[in-house]
Order: sequence, then structure tokens, then C-alpha cells
Amino acid sequence: MKILVPIKQVVTLDEDFEFTPDNRDVDHDFHIYDLNEWDDYSLEEALLIKESNDSPIEIIVCTVGNEYADESLRKCLAKGADRAIRVWSNELKNTDSIGIARIIAHIARREEPQLILTGVQSSDFAHSTTGVATAGILGWPYAAVVNRFEPDHDFTKASILRELEGGLEEAMNIDLPAVITIQVGINKPRYASLRGIKQAQSIPIEEATPDSLGMIDSEIGESGSASIIKKMFIPEKLSTAIIIEGTPAQQASKLAKIINDFKGV
Amino acid sequence: MALDPKYAPLFEPIKIGPKILRNRFYQVPHCIGAGSDRPGFQAAHRSLKAEGGWAGINTEYCSIHPESDDTHRLSARLWDDGDVHNLRAMTDHIHKYGSLAGVEMWYGSSHAPNMESRCTPRGPSQYNSEFENLTYCKEMDLDDITHVQQYYVEAALRARDAGFDIVYVYGAHSYLPLQFLSPYYNKRKDKYGGSLENRARFWIETLEKVGKAVGNDCAIATRFAIDTLYGPSSIEIEEDGLHFIELADPLVDLWDVNIGDIAEWGEDAGPSRFYRQGHQLPWTIHVKRIAKKPVLGVGRFTDPEKMMEIVRSGAADIIGAARPSIADPFLPNKILEGRVDDIRVCIGCNVCISRWEIGGPPMICTQNATAGEEYRRGWHPERFPKKTSDDSILIVGAGPSGSECARVLMERGYTVHLYDTSEKIGGHLNDIITLPGLGEWGYHRDYRESQLAKLIKKNKHSQLSLGQNPMTVENVLKYGADKIVIATGSSWNTDGNNGLTHDSIPGIDASNNWTLTPEQVFSGKKKIGKRVVILNADTYFMSPSIAEQLAKNGHEVTIVSGVHLANYMHFTLEYSNMRRRLHELHVQELNDVFASRAEEGHLEIFDTYGDGSTRIYAGPGKLPRRENDTHRSIEFDSLIVVTGRHSNDSLYRELKTQQGDWSANGIKGVYIIGDAEAPRLIADATFTGHRLAREIEETNPQFPLPYKREVAIYGAQRMQNFNPLIEYKF
Ligand SMILES: Cc1cc2nc3c(=O)[nH]c(=O)nc-3n(C[C@H](O)[C@H](O)[C@H](O)COP(=O)(O)O)c2cc1C
Repeated sequence: MKILVPIKQVVTLDEDFEFTPDNRDVDHDFHIYDLNEWDDYSLEEALLIKESNDSPIEIIVCTVGNEYADESLRKCLAKGADRAIRVWSNELKNTDSIGIARIIAHIARREEPQLILTGVQSSDFAHSTTGVATAGILGWPYAAVVNRFEPDHDFTKASILRELEGGLEEAMNIDLPAVITIQVGINKPRYASLRGIKQAQSIPIEEATPDSLGMIDSEIGESGSASIIKKMFIPEKLSTAIIIEGTPAQQASKLAKIINDFKGV
Repeated sequence: MALDPKYAPLFEPIKIGPKILRNRFYQVPHCIGAGSDRPGFQAAHRSLKAEGGWAGINTEYCSIHPESDDTHRLSARLWDDGDVHNLRAMTDHIHKYGSLAGVEMWYGSSHAPNMESRCTPRGPSQYNSEFENLTYCKEMDLDDITHVQQYYVEAALRARDAGFDIVYVYGAHSYLPLQFLSPYYNKRKDKYGGSLENRARFWIETLEKVGKAVGNDCAIATRFAIDTLYGPSSIEIEEDGLHFIELADPLVDLWDVNIGDIAEWGEDAGPSRFYRQGHQLPWTIHVKRIAKKPVLGVGRFTDPEKMMEIVRSGAADIIGAARPSIADPFLPNKILEGRVDDIRVCIGCNVCISRWEIGGPPMICTQNATAGEEYRRGWHPERFPKKTSDDSILIVGAGPSGSECARVLMERGYTVHLYDTSEKIGGHLNDIITLPGLGEWGYHRDYRESQLAKLIKKNKHSQLSLGQNPMTVENVLKYGADKIVIATGSSWNTDGNNGLTHDSIPGIDASNNWTLTPEQVFSGKKKIGKRVVILNADTYFMSPSIAEQLAKNGHEVTIVSGVHLANYMHFTLEYSNMRRRLHELHVQELNDVFASRAEEGHLEIFDTYGDGSTRIYAGPGKLPRRENDTHRSIEFDSLIVVTGRHSNDSLYRELKTQQGDWSANGIKGVYIIGDAEAPRLIADATFTGHRLAREIEETNPQFPLPYKREVAIYGAQRMQNFNPLIEYKF
């Protein structure tokens, strides 16, 4: 049996960065890469399922990205994933999350996992769509923002808890195979050991392309996407800081006035 | 990154007499244990700060003549050409970076016991030093005054020859010029005593003479304790303080002002336990009202915002710093380069000072493990030798030593996994910083936390594994690391085992519900009763800190101490205010008293000197003194045992027993650092982690490499006409 764990290498930024000349992205020189925080939890959930199951389970991690993304795949392999697939070709450059979901769906058709575990969202774009779109394309059931996942022993059903607004939780059962988007806090992600890191260096990563997955042109890149990015920019700051001057007593009364104005007193 | 424009004023040059300071960062005089006899140490430590951006850098107090000999403590000396030669190394190296070198000319009077020179100190009136307590000075007559002033002149000329740009007449910390000024010391009836003008005369004349001697070759500075904090019986800022500034202002190029005296100089070098950054400002802020010359003040300034506030508000022109410059010799450059969050912030523990107080072993710093190691070990605080292998290293324990070891190894380019059961790095420091006044000690952890986060971004294979299960031997063996460092810390003894009897105490057992170790106090799980007895055999901060905390929370606290309570806090200058605090909180103390057994509610205690004073040999099995008959009992609801610590070294010892399995698992070495090796000061624990990281590729890095020693060489000629032969005068 297989569990597919799609992951994303997200971008974090330092204080200073620049945009690309077309203003549609941050200049890649300023990208700092990291594994999406949510994916740490979906991978951990897969590892926990594997460890608590008697029958053998293969955990496959996959991602869409150029060779920079190998680092995040290797991080997953170091923690115990069995196999890694990286899908890339230059046509994939402006693929949105729907386009990514199409790729994952193709991998799923090929691998036939019993379960797909994704993160609820990615920390850089925060669309929260990849997982549920994958389910839609596959025609599978799905559950989003899951903070407890308990499959039954023959893996045909699972009982889950979903996190709702306002501290509420929802309990439900779901038929498998299904796509589950995992919320942070569901478990405590492990760290890789040095042995794991060293071993992961020698596990080959499968390099797939849309072609090799049997995708047709209308599914690939911008054609397969539902949106394109027009522009990225830093919004103008609306509020401004004020420096309160004067003697301590004057400062205190000015501050009190600001607070009272704010409260509408 | 670049200088934040709001801090630009801190980098504006300023003229002091004939010299120019290139910015506003100034290392005030402070001891390091180098003096004139360890010139390499002196030159390296001070010039490193020039490299780090300090515009002015001083010696420690520097004796002008054998008559001011501080032996059992360590000052610099400018007594002869040999000292000139040695201190020249410091000034030359400082000048390479465009900074100015200053020397603090010092005459101590009674406060200097002259134990080496055996000269007689001279003072304004005869007094017994309140600091030294068995040293009287001779009251100076008018010839003596001229004579001692001539010492200053001759020393100033030697200072000039040694290449110093700034010469001080040092009148802070109750040394000679201040003794003339203060009626607390000066009881004279002649023209050097009585009115302020008379009391100021010695200092004024000395400044004139020194100024005339060095002319335009050197700037003249004076260090002045503008308020000795005794009230009207001595110097008060808005009385004699400002009047003296007015009188002497024309004669000085730079005012270096502070507060306090020598016997309690922790009022100047205020420990963070009692004083925050800028604590001297309520006094020093007045100086600029009168002084026309540049003014500098101190107060553990580490924060550029605070420094700007001082310069902008006109409280001072220049930021003086001793401890912040020790914790981070590159503080100015880090501000200049826009790396404020890389500053290693002084935690105000005063362990640097403890070494001077103890008598002058090389200075150490809790934050900066390279302090004092610049010359002898060749350690630069900001630059590290690149790694020499691809070994990966597992460090078990992220306390002070483990986190420092990880930081330095990562700086060197090694892949490091730092592993801890706690959710935060810092180890036992995370508990200590919850004690009254010790919050700022947390900067030690914070610095490492932020540096590790940055270093891990640079090497994705490095890892901080927190909140983990305790490592077993099996985990360690199978972890896949080439080298293992065990930094598992120490714990307080649960059975009363202590350094006096080297044994446990019957009945003491922290697994019962009425006995607590400090860790159990921190964890808050056991109820602490109204009447608390702290059984103490530790000489640092733990017992008084817990006493303070519990007394504040309404407990009735008695400390039973078999050792001098908090003796080490004399050396960190925390002792007197700690005493005042315990007194205010009505903490009771039984000193030279220890415990022989405990049961619920009762502690059997005895006077440690309750046995016989005479000694006889009475044969085997018999004590040589009359048996102690002072045993009695005191009552408690909770007993807190601060009797001693032991290393948490079981993981290390088990790994050693499985040495045969190391190589099969790819392990090249297992090392132990910090408290896990032996309980010690946080500064020393940090040092052991730092050292191991620097020497990890040595054949046996568990044991330190030798360091460069600066020692006198028999037969070597220290100065012209020096005859090294043994020659008796018959
Ligand atoms: C280790 C150490 C040694 C010191 N030795 C001297 C000294 O020799 N002469 C002196 O005038 N002040 C000495 N001081 C006091 C400092 O110059 C300074 O006034 C005090 O530490 C307050 O400044 P800070 O808060 O920046 O540390 C010493 C301070 C330290 C930390």
C-alpha cells in the first residue's frame, strides 16, 4: 500500500529583496528555500501511519520544481520517506495551484496510493487549494484542515477530526482512498538523524516531466492553470507611527488621549 | 546591510584636545589580568577592540610608581622603561586601526597595600582603608605632595614615550585625587584641606603639571566619581561634584565620569541583578550643564537606541563601556554594519570583575568565551578557522556549553545536530533567569538562539532538535554522527551530598514531599510550606536567590549555611546589595552551621567549629579533637537543599563502556563538556564548549592544547642596565 505526500519547497524572504523586471515575482536571487511547514506535519502523519501498521506501506513524496527542490525532497527522505518524485520542465514555470493539482493527480493515477496527505496550505502563497483540487480532479473524497486522522485496520475508512472556526471541531468518517489536508499541530514532526541525512543523499530522486506522466498540452503550465499572476508589489503602509514628544507628564497625557480616541471615549 | 542612518551620530568623530576620536565608542579603563607583564595579552585584547570599532581604548588602572602597588590584584604599571617597552605593543597595535590608546595613571594610597614593593602609601590624611582594611597611609606633608605629583609627571612622560594618546589622572573609585577632594578622607587644615578650592588643589595642580609635561602630545583625561553616594559627608553631584567640574574643566580635554567608591564599586560596575542599563544617568546627566569639554559616562550601554538617546539628549558626548566591550569587542562595527541583532549583549553577571577581585587571573566573560584568550590561544571572537574535515557532529544537550559548541562548530562549517529534551536551548539557564534580578542572564541564551537560527539557514544539514525524548546509548550509537559531544549538564544533589562532608546527609531525600532541590523549586510541582529552611553549602547565587524569591512570596526563610554564604558574590560585586535585600526581607541566617540529619519538620544542625580546638593523636579509630557537642534541632515545613551539584554524565559513561561499538557505527570520538564534565560557572561551561569546537580535529580534543605563556625568562634583559645575576650585597 502507498501513501502519496505532495510537498512544496516554499520561499521565505529576508528584509531586503527585489522584484523581477516584469514585476510578477520576487527576484530569485533573494529566495530562501525551505520545506513548507504544513508538509512537515503531513509527512510525519504518513510516517506515523506507516510505523503503526503491520502491513508494509510505501511513502512517496513528490513535488513540482526545479533541481533546487531536491533539498526538500531529501529532507523528507532523511526522515523516512521511501521514494521521491520531482516533476519539472520549463513549461511549468507559471503553473498555479490548480495546475499543480493536475500534476499530482497524474502521479496518483500512476502510483495508485490509498491516501494522499497534503498540507492545508503553503506558507508562501497560502491558496489552500492544491489538496482539495487534486481530490476534485481525481473524483476522490477529501477532508480539509484535519487535526486527527485514524484509518481503520483495512484502510477502507478513516475517522477524522476537522478544525473549524471559533475553536469548534467536526468529527466525520471518510472513505478511502481520499485526499486529506493536514493542519499543523496534528502531530510533532520528527527531526532527521545524521544517519538519515547521509542515507538520503544516495537515494535517487525520480525526475519526471509532464510528458512522462502522460499529460496533454491543455493540462500543462499556464494552460492547465486557473489563474495567472499579474503583478507583485509591496502595499503602501496605511498607518504611520507617531513619536510622542515632551516631558514624561506631557507624553503620558498625549498617550492617554490617543488611547481614548482609539477606544472612542 | 548598512548603518541605520538614525545611528549615524554615534559615528561622528569628536575632538579631545589635540586628538580626535573617530567615533563615540570608547572603552573605559578596565582590568583584564594583563597589566604590563603580559604585553601580548594586553596588546591583543585592546587592539581587537580597535579592530571592532572602538575609537578610544584604555589600559586598566596603571600604577605610576612602586608606592602604588596593588599586588594581590593586578594593575598595569608605568614604573620604568621595561613597562614602556611592554605597553608600546598595545599602543602600536591600537594605532594600526586608527584608534586612540589611553592610560589611566593611578595612585591608590591606602587602598593599595604595597605587598610587593613594601613602600608606604601616602594620602591626604592618615586613614585605614575601608577597602583593604589593614593598610594605613602616611599623611602627606607639603614636600610629600610635590613629590607624589612629580610621580604623576614622570609617569605621564613615560606614557607619552609608550605611545599613549590619552593620559588620565584617575580620581574615581576613591583613589588619591578623589581622596583629597572628599572630606570623607581629607581632614587637613592646610591649603589642601577644608574648602572645596583647597580640597581640589591637589588634583588641579596635578592636572596642570601633567598637562604641561605632555603638552600637545597627549590629551588629558580625568576620571571623576561625581557622586560617591555617601550623601553630604563626601562628594555629591550637585555640590562638590559640579563645582569641581567647573574648576578643572579648563585643564582637561575629556571628562570620564562615574559614581561610587572602591569598597562598593558595584555601584559603578552595577550587576544586572540590581542595575539596568543607564543606571548612572540620574547623576551623570548633570555634568554637561557645566563641562565645556567632551563628557563620557558609563552604565552597561549595549543598546544603540539608548546610546542615541544619550548623545541626542546631550547627557554625554561619548559612550563609555567596559563590560559591553568585553562581551562584544565588535559592538561598534556591528552597529555600523547594520547587524545590531548580532551583538553579544553583556548579561551583567560581573564574572569578568570577579577575576580581578580574586587577584588577577586572566579575565573571563560568560558571553564571550574568547575574552582573555585572544593572545594566548589565538581566538578571535568573530572569525573562526574553517573546518578541516566533513565530520558531522551530534551534540546532546543545548545548555550553555552545548549551544556554544554548536555555534562555533557551525561557524567553522561543520554539520551539527544539537539535541535537547527541552523546547528551548539554554539548559538550566532557563530556570536561573526566573530568579529575582537574573533575567538579563537570558541574553546568553538569546545570542546563541539567534546565531544558531542564522547558521542553520546556511547549512541545511545542520539541525536544532528540541523537545526530544532523552537520548539512549543506542540512539547515540545509531545516530550516524562522526563525533559525539555530550553536554548533558548537572543537577543539584537530592541527598544533601556536599563539599564539606563529601557525603550525603541522613534523612535528606528530595523524593519525599518536604525536601526540594532547586530544580524542584523551579518546577513548582511540590508545595512549599510557610517555614522554609535552605540548607546551603554552595558559595554562589542559588541560595540567596531562592531565599529572596520565597521571602518575597511570603515564606519565612532561614538559611543554614556551612560555607560563607554567597562568597563568590563578593567578587561579582553583588554581595552588599544582596545582603541588604535579604535583610529587608527578614531572611534569617545561621552561618558556620551545618546539618547532620533531617526528618519531616526537623533539621539537626551543629556549629561547624563546635568540636575541640586542641588536637591530639589518640590512636586509630579516635578523633584528634573533642567531638562536636553543639547539635540541636530547628523546625521547618519545607527543606530546600542547595548543598552541591553532580554531573549528569551517565550517557557519556555508558557510551565509554561501549567504546568497542564506536567504529562499527562510524563514530570517531565521544567528548564531554560543560557541567556534564564537572559543574562550574556558566562562563567556564561556555568556554569548554567553545574550546572543544575550536580543537575538535586534534588527536584528543577532550584535553586542551597548550597555550602561549608570557613569563619572565631568567637571564633575559628586560631594560637597559638590568642585571639578571644573583648578587648579594655584602
Ligand atoms: C573587569 C573590570 C575591571 C575594571 N577595572 C577598572 C580599572 O582598572 N579602572 C577603572 O577606572 N575602572 C575599572 N572598571 C570600571 C569600569 O571602567 C566602568 O566604570 C564600569 O565597569 C561601568 O561601566 P560598564 O557598565 O560599561 O561596565 C572595571 C570594570 C570591569 C568590568
